[in-house]
Amino acid sequence: MTAAALLEVRDVHRDFGGVHALSGVTLQVARGRITGMIGPNGSGKTTLFQVVSGIDRGATGQVFLDGEPILGLRPSQIYQRGLARTFQLSRVFPQLTVLENLMVAGHRHDRAVRERAIGLLEKVGLREYSAVAGSDLSYGQQRLVEFLRVLMSDPALILLDEPAAGVNPTLRNTLWDMVRHLNGQGTTFFVIEHDMGVIADLCDDVYVLSEGQVIAHGDFETVRGNDTVLAAYFGKTAAHRGTEND
Amino acid sequence: MSLKSIAPGIVLALLAVAAPAMASDYQLLFLLQLLMMIALAQSWNLISGMTGYVSLGHTAFFGVGAYAGALLLQWGFPWWLAIFKGAGIALLVAAPLGVLTLRLRGPYFAIAMLGLNEIGRLVATLWVDLTQGGDGIPLSPARLPTLLQNYYTMLTLAVLATSLIAWVRYNRLGLELRAIREDEEAAEMVGVNTTRNKVIAFALSAVIPGAAGAVYAFYTSYIDPVSVFAPALNIQMIVMVLLGGSGTVWGPVIGAVLVRTLHELTWAQFPALHLALLGVLIVAIVLFLPKGILSLAPWRRRVRPDRAPGSP
Ligand SMILES: Nc1ncnc2c1ncn2[C@@H]1O[C@H](COP(=O)(O)OP(=O)(O)OP(=O)(O)O)[C@@H](O)[C@H]1O
Ligand SMILES: [Mg+2]
Repeated sequence: MTAAALLEVRDVHRDFGGVHALSGVTLQVARGRITGMIGPNGSGKTTLFQVVSGIDRGATGQVFLDGEPILGLRPSQIYQRGLARTFQLSRVFPQLTVLENLMVAGHRHDRAVRERAIGLLEKVGLREYSAVAGSDLSYGQQRLVEFLRVLMSDPALILLDEPAAGVNPTLRNTLWDMVRHLNGQGTTFFVIEHDMGVIADLCDDVYVLSEGQVIAHGDFETVRGNDTVLAAYFGKTAAHRGTEND
Repeated sequence: MSLKSIAPGIVLALLAVAAPAMASDYQLLFLLQLLMMIALAQSWNLISGMTGYVSLGHTAFFGVGAYAGALLLQWGFPWWLAIFKGAGIALLVAAPLGVLTLRLRGPYFAIAMLGLNEIGRLVATLWVDLTQGGDGIPLSPARLPTLLQNYYTMLTLAVLATSLIAWVRYNRLGLELRAIREDEEAAEMVGVNTTRNKVIAFALSAVIPGAAGAVYAFYTSYIDPVSVFAPALNIQMIVMVLLGGSGTVWGPVIGAVLVRTLHELTWAQFPALHLALLGVLIVAIVLFLPKGILSLAPWRRRVRPDRAPGSP
C-alpha cells in the first residue's frame, strides 16, 4: 500500500485499573477508503475511538492525523483538524432544536451554515423537524441527526461507532447510502460495525480487535477465514449484542 | 432578533425611566431593589442558566464590588468611577478563578463558588485595617450619589445585563454555551472550545454583580460582611432564574418581579415566613415547573412530532 495513511495509530495502550482495554494497538486508516473495525464485545473498539478523538486522554503511544501527532490534543482541536465522530450511544443535544444541533457543529455561524444544515436535513427527510427539540426525536432519528452533525464541518475523516444500531431498516439504508456517497466524494471512514454483511459490503479493509489487540487485518474475505478471528469470536464469547458500554 | 421580540423590553425600560416622576421614595427604593435583583439574576443566568454550572457563590462578586465601591468612595474617587472600578475588580477576581474552577465538574464548581463567597466574607471580616471588620463601613452622605442617581445607575445595569443575555442567547456563543449545558463532551467533540467559552461566560457574569454591589453600598450607605457576602441573596438569584426560565432572556425578569413582589407583600407582616416561602417556591419549581414560567407560554410550545419514522 503506497498511499499515506490518513490516520495512523502506533502502539497505543490504555489501561483502566487492571483492565488492558488497549494493549499495543497499531493500525492505519487509508485515505479515501472505508476501513472497518470488528471484534467481540469489550475488545476495545470504542476505547480506541475515545482515544483517537481526544475524549479519553489517558492513553500512551502515538496517533497521527494526516501525519501530524494528535494524541493529547483537545477533542475540539482534533475536530478542527478534520476528524469528526459519532458516539456509540447517540448524543444529540436534547434541548437544542434539530437545526441548532447541526449548526453548533459548523465552523462558523452564518447563513451559509444554516443553509447547509437545512440542506442536510432535507436529504434525509428530516427538514420538517428543524424546530423540534433533539429529545423529541425517535432514537433512530437522533442517530441520523448525530450523523448529519458530523458532516457540518466537511471532515476529512469520520469515525462511526455502530451508527446503525437501534435504527430501523429504512433509515439504516439511508445512512449507509450516504456513507458510500460521501466516500465517493473523497471522505475517509473508519467504522465500527457488528453486521458482517455491512462490513463485507462497505469496507475495503478490516481490522479485528480482540482483548485490546489487533489480531487480524486485511480484506473481509481474508479476515473471515482467519483461525484466530474465529477463535476470538466463538472460542469464549459468542458475539451476542446487548452488553454495550460507551 | 425581531423588533417584536424586543418591544416588551423597550416598553418596560421606558416605564422604568419614567417611574421616578410618579413614585414615592419608598416605591422608588422598591423598584431600585427590583432592578438590582434583575441585574443579579441575569448575571447568574449567563453562567449558570446557560451552561448549567450552578454558582452558589455569585454574591462573592457582589461583595467584592460593594467593598471596592465603598472604599474607593471613601478614598475620594467620584461615585461613578468607584462603580466602574468595582466592576473591574470583580472581573479581575473572576477571570483567573474561572480558569481554575471551571475545570471542575458541576457539583464541585458549585461548592467551590460557595467557598469563594465564604472566603470573601472572612477576608472582609478579618482584614480590619482595610474593611473595619464586622463593624462594617458607614459611608458619609456628602459623597454619596442621590437616590435618583442610584436608581438610574441600577436601571442601566439591569438593562445591560438583560441585553447581554439577549445578545449571547441569539449568538454563536449562546448556542455553544447551551450545547455545553446539554452535553459538554459532545460539544467539545463538535469543535466547541468548552473551557474558553465557560471562562468567558463566567468572567462576563461577574462584571455586573461587581457594579451592582457598589451601587448597593451607595444606596444603603452602609455595608458589612454579612449583608453583601450573603448566601440568601444568591438563593434569591437562583429562585428568580429557575422560576422564570433558566437560559431565557425574559424569564429572570419575570422571576425577579414575582419574587420581589411576594417578598414585599410578606416580609413586613411575617419576617420569618418570607424565607420559608422562598424555600417552598424552590421545591415547587423543581417539582412542577422545571423549565420555568416561560415554558408555559403558548407560543413556546413546540410541536411534538409523531414518533413515526426511525424507531427500531
Ligand atoms: N471508562 C472506562 N472505565 C473502565 N473500564 C472501561 C471504560 N471504558 C471501557 N472500559 C473497559 O474496556 C474494555 C473495552 O471496552 P470498549 O467499550 O472499548 O469495548 P468495545 O469493543 O467497544 O465493545 P462493544 O462491542 O460492546 O461496544 C472493556 O472491558 C470495558 O469494560
Ligand atoms: Mg463499543
